[in-house]
Amino acid sequence: MEEPRIGVYICWCGTNIAKMVDVEQVTEQVSKLPHVVVSKNYKYMCSDPGQELIACDIQEHKLNRIVVAACSPRIHELTFRRALEKAGLNAYLFEMANIREQDSWVHDNREEATRKAIELVAASISRVKYHEPLDKRSVTINPATLVIGGGVAGMSAALEVANAGREVYLVEKSDRLGGLVNHLDLTYPYLYDAGSMLETLLRRTLNHPHIKVFCDTTVEKVDGFIGNFTTTILTENQQPVTLTFGNIIVSTGLKPFDASRVGEYGYGRLPDVLTSVEFEDMLRSGQILTRSGKPPQNIAIIHCVGSRNTEFHEYCSRTCCQVALKFANQIRTLLPDSNIFDLYADMRAFGKGCEELYTETSRKNITFMMFDQQKEMPQIIRSIDPADPHMLIFFREKISGLGLEVPADLIILMVGMEAHEDVKDVAHAVGISVCGNQFFIEKHPKLDPVATTTAGVYIVGNCQGPKGIPDAISQAKAAAARVLATINQGSVFVEVTTAQVNEAICCGCQTCILVCPYSAIHFDQNKRVSVVNEVLCKGCGTCGSTCPTGAIRSKHFTDQQILSQIAGLMEMTLKIN
Amino acid sequence: MEFKPTIVAFLCNWCSYTGADLAGTSRMKYKPNIRVIRVMCSGRVDPTFVYKSFREGADGVLICGCHPGDCHYQEGNYKCLRRFKLMKKYITQMGIEPERLHLEWISASEGKQFAELVDSMTERIKELGPSQVKQVAETLAI
Repeated sequence: MEEPRIGVYICWCGTNIAKMVDVEQVTEQVSKLPHVVVSKNYKYMCSDPGQELIACDIQEHKLNRIVVAACSPRIHELTFRRALEKAGLNAYLFEMANIREQDSWVHDNREEATRKAIELVAASISRVKYHEPLDKRSVTINPATLVIGGGVAGMSAALEVANAGREVYLVEKSDRLGGLVNHLDLTYPYLYDAGSMLETLLRRTLNHPHIKVFCDTTVEKVDGFIGNFTTTILTENQQPVTLTFGNIIVSTGLKPFDASRVGEYGYGRLPDVLTSVEFEDMLRSGQILTRSGKPPQNIAIIHCVGSRNTEFHEYCSRTCCQVALKFANQIRTLLPDSNIFDLYADMRAFGKGCEELYTETSRKNITFMMFDQQKEMPQIIRSIDPADPHMLIFFREKISGLGLEVPADLIILMVGMEAHEDVKDVAHAVGISVCGNQFFIEKHPKLDPVATTTAGVYIVGNCQGPKGIPDAISQAKAAAARVLATINQGSVFVEVTTAQVNEAICCGCQTCILVCPYSAIHFDQNKRVSVVNEVLCKGCGTCGSTCPTGAIRSKHFTDQQILSQIAGLMEMTLKIN
Repeated sequence: MEFKPTIVAFLCNWCSYTGADLAGTSRMKYKPNIRVIRVMCSGRVDPTFVYKSFREGADGVLICGCHPGDCHYQEGNYKCLRRFKLMKKYITQMGIEPERLHLEWISASEGKQFAELVDSMTERIKELGPSQVKQVAETLAI
């Protein structure tokens, strides 16, 4: 091994790190460690001058290993790897110490946080000594794309990719395309007809020469990696079809919240309590009628059903307030003399044209009243008098604190959106994660909002978080652009941190073959050793920790690297103690 | 002098390390005794890593992985769980209190749970007092 010449860089991250960690002291302490040639600190290591600093030192001091102590490697590892490459050093001769997310931001004792930073950097220095240059592996991209979920987001993504002349497989679980928009009458805030918009999308999708639609079909399992995915689906007539594709766009959407879970509202028990989805269907029929067939005189709309409520979902579903305003407008048009009561927990009419819709609606003789669902949920009861109005809503008006009674013949529950039951099956099939609210997790909430941590898999529309049609379609087109960029390149570089067998010490026990989740290891009968297929290996390293002889190396996470990291860490700990 | 334990933690990249990052992004506060080592999967946690940590003077070792069924690599966390049970037995036979080794599932969204876990584990290790492993090993020259 060449003599390690290590450069160490401590980032201030403005004041994010420097406020809680004494960066000067860290720089000073670690400079004395073996092989450290340069130890510096700088205001923003990720900035151009910060990266330039590393590049210059690599040239000037002939550095061959770099450690940066800054934010989480999940944020900037790639940035610094690229900086190394630009300076002519292999990207893997780099290690990052996380002294922001896992140090300065979580501690309030400067002395302890500084000490922790010194130890973490010492561990990284001790690890990076054993880093080896790794070659990048280039894979060709299959130009076909799989889109899972055929709502407006899925169809928009499919069309965008197909319009560029690329093949798309669009798989839909239900018997028809369109998703939740199938139920909509008008869209907010401009009250356009949802049906005609959907019709246009459907016609284009179904007639497109490059889109193949599979309805009544689910994707159970996807094998492979970016550029080279494959899956076998069962079509409507139970025929297995194997598809191969290079990228995946997941657009599985959300479903309406089950209103019967809110006991106070009597949904399912009281016939004239409807969900917003059912009311949309009623509006599409052109008539607003109670169950007894009469037009209602008193109509109440209740917001935040299942949303913004710790008992159900803490999140805001983002569309319901605007839909409620749209309803109020439509009711006023169809029943000009009716009384409309809008009971809201908060009016969140955000977005282009929506606050204007609220102002407009509030001029139409609609009674807006606020309740506090954290303190006291409104209660709906059947009126004792069997004649109209046949329901009463009891609630406490938030601003005045008064207990009020609202008469109602028809009540609309603005249900929020929630994940489908099979969301985890989809996540497993394509290898992505869900958050606590069961929405798929994006790679970076701001810098990479439609990608996931699995290369080649994108998330668009509601399945990434509740949103309206314009946002869903924007995401769909953004993901399509990402997919087309990859297809255009023809090939991508993939991680090379796979496992490798040292044939000289493999005893042929085949334990690694048993534990590999990807069947990426097979047994060479002639040599009597295990062999890793690096194309299938995803680098989890489970085989490495199972191997009794230490014949398997998990590249970039080798035993030597991790053991040295532990040793470097504990040595510094004891030294400070 | 007050005993300041050192806990070496092995966190899987996809769930637990992200969960620990989330605790930071949300500015939650927890005890400063933990030192995180990132691995791609909890299935990568070789028993040697755990024994090495104790041997070099760690007072506690924590392993965190994705919840059952949520492993990024399908089932690495199950492999980890099996090894964990063996490791517990093994360290007990070596004379190390089994409570010094702990396994917990932390998802990418469980920043709060991670912060609470670090605090509770630190308290437990403080009660146990400093680990004698390094000292004994050096006396016996092993």
